[in-house]
Amino acid sequence: MRELFTETYRYRELIWALALKELRVRYKRSFLGFIWALLNPALLMLVLTIVFGTIMKFTVPHYSIFLLSMLLPWTFFSQSLAYSVESIVGNGELLKKVRVAKLVFPVAALLSNIINFLLSMIPLLLLVLALGFPVHWTWIYLPVPMLGLFLFTLGAAFFFAAVNVYYRDVSHIIQIVLSAWFYFSPIIYSLDFIGPKHRWLFKLNPLLYVLNGFRLSIYYGMLPHWSSVAMSLTCGVASLVIGYSIFHHYEKSFVYYV
Amino acid sequence: MVIPYSTITKNRSFITSDQDMSSESFSIEFDDVVQRFRRIQERPDTLREVFAKIRGRRVTYLDFEALKHISFRVLKGQMIGILGRNGSGKSTLLKIAAGVYTPTSGRVRVHGSTAPLIELGAGFHHELTGRENILLNGLLLGLTKNQIREREERIIDFAELGDFIDSPIKQYSSGMYMRLAFSVATEIEPEILIVDEILGVGDAGFQRKCYGRISKFKQLGRTILFVSHDIVTVRQLCDRALLLHKGELIADGKPADVIARYEEIFSGPLAAVR
Repeated sequence: MRELFTETYRYRELIWALALKELRVRYKRSFLGFIWALLNPALLMLVLTIVFGTIMKFTVPHYSIFLLSMLLPWTFFSQSLAYSVESIVGNGELLKKVRVAKLVFPVAALLSNIINFLLSMIPLLLLVLALGFPVHWTWIYLPVPMLGLFLFTLGAAFFFAAVNVYYRDVSHIIQIVLSAWFYFSPIIYSLDFIGPKHRWLFKLNPLLYVLNGFRLSIYYGMLPHWSSVAMSLTCGVASLVIGYSIFHHYEKSFVYYV
Repeated sequence: MVIPYSTITKNRSFITSDQDMSSESFSIEFDDVVQRFRRIQERPDTLREVFAKIRGRRVTYLDFEALKHISFRVLKGQMIGILGRNGSGKSTLLKIAAGVYTPTSGRVRVHGSTAPLIELGAGFHHELTGRENILLNGLLLGLTKNQIREREERIIDFAELGDFIDSPIKQYSSGMYMRLAFSVATEIEPEILIVDEILGVGDAGFQRKCYGRISKFKQLGRTILFVSHDIVTVRQLCDRALLLHKGELIADGKPADVIARYEEIFSGPLAAVR
């Protein structure tokens, strides 16, 4: 585990450059460039607000904010995985020629998505203001669920990036897993909709606690119970420890399989 | 175990097993190095292998040794030519020296920073400009941002790119691309330069410049591992040559002698080396 920190520190400049490259390539040659990082979530929010605010009337007031408070972290999670699952295989030719710590690629993939995610919080805040929805003081609590989310995502990124080297099927399977996971998580609905009989099943979801933290502080203006905070951070750390250990165990032979 | 990355400024070495110090006058030491690869006979990299195993069907692997018990030591400042036919293990040897491969068994010690010129432009990104690629490539090869900034102008000068440096490199001609890549890798000033038959590219002028730079490296007392099929160059530049044949080191000595042996493999009876 120690290598994770020492290597990340040693390669910080490279990781940062790779993450910026990722973003730059994503927005390059488009007229609006980096503005898309803000415009993309903004337009999505606009669509959701119109659909759920005027066309489909939900019983949940300000449904768009209710939804977005969890949808944005979820989108971060699923996009990060989609990027990082290919991060080792996609850089295979490079790994065969240059000696470089393998972890820089999943970490850089995550970092570029973190930047995107943080940028997407700006249009969310603007939307909250525009709808006249209160900006709760609990927004300042957001760094805590973010930390849990980033740790959890990084662990999953390490895991899938490593497994994908040996079984390329993973990059296809992950799409299915992610969409099942999405509907299994109370993102478009609330856990209250689930009968108490089945609720335990949904509580097995390791992302639930982190996602809850986002919704509570953005939509409800409340802080999660301490046990939920502990759970979200525990899930994050556990994911990172497991994911990185597996990655680290196999990383030496990646170069023979990419 | 992670092979510690040797940075450019520090004289760090990476070692595959124990830590006993050997003579400082060597820059590369191979001790009984074996590199075994697993060739998969069936369609690789799918879950089919797993299912095949579950159902009791066996996936056939063929292990083959790309390098068989190779031992040699390179003195600091030596320029070593590595000869051999295609598939003899030259590139594998270079990749082990560059720290890309971890040998199956045996011990490798590399004292000092290395810069691999195994393929020019590995790590270049086509959408980025020349300048952006210099930064990214330099970082990949182990420089810090400041070290790259110091070298940036020299890199651009040597590559003769002019104002193309701020255009995306997908618009470069292949010559420009090669010049930039060579320029980045050599401006790093590694203690050990690892070159894999890349100098066949580019026009005569550029080739002359490349060889000029390699000679400069030699004069500075840097170690160079040099794979080439170009016998003339090996004879002219190298202090010593190694000949690989089917993963074995069959000759090690003066370039003239090794080249004679190399030509024997091509023309003479192959039974001699089998």
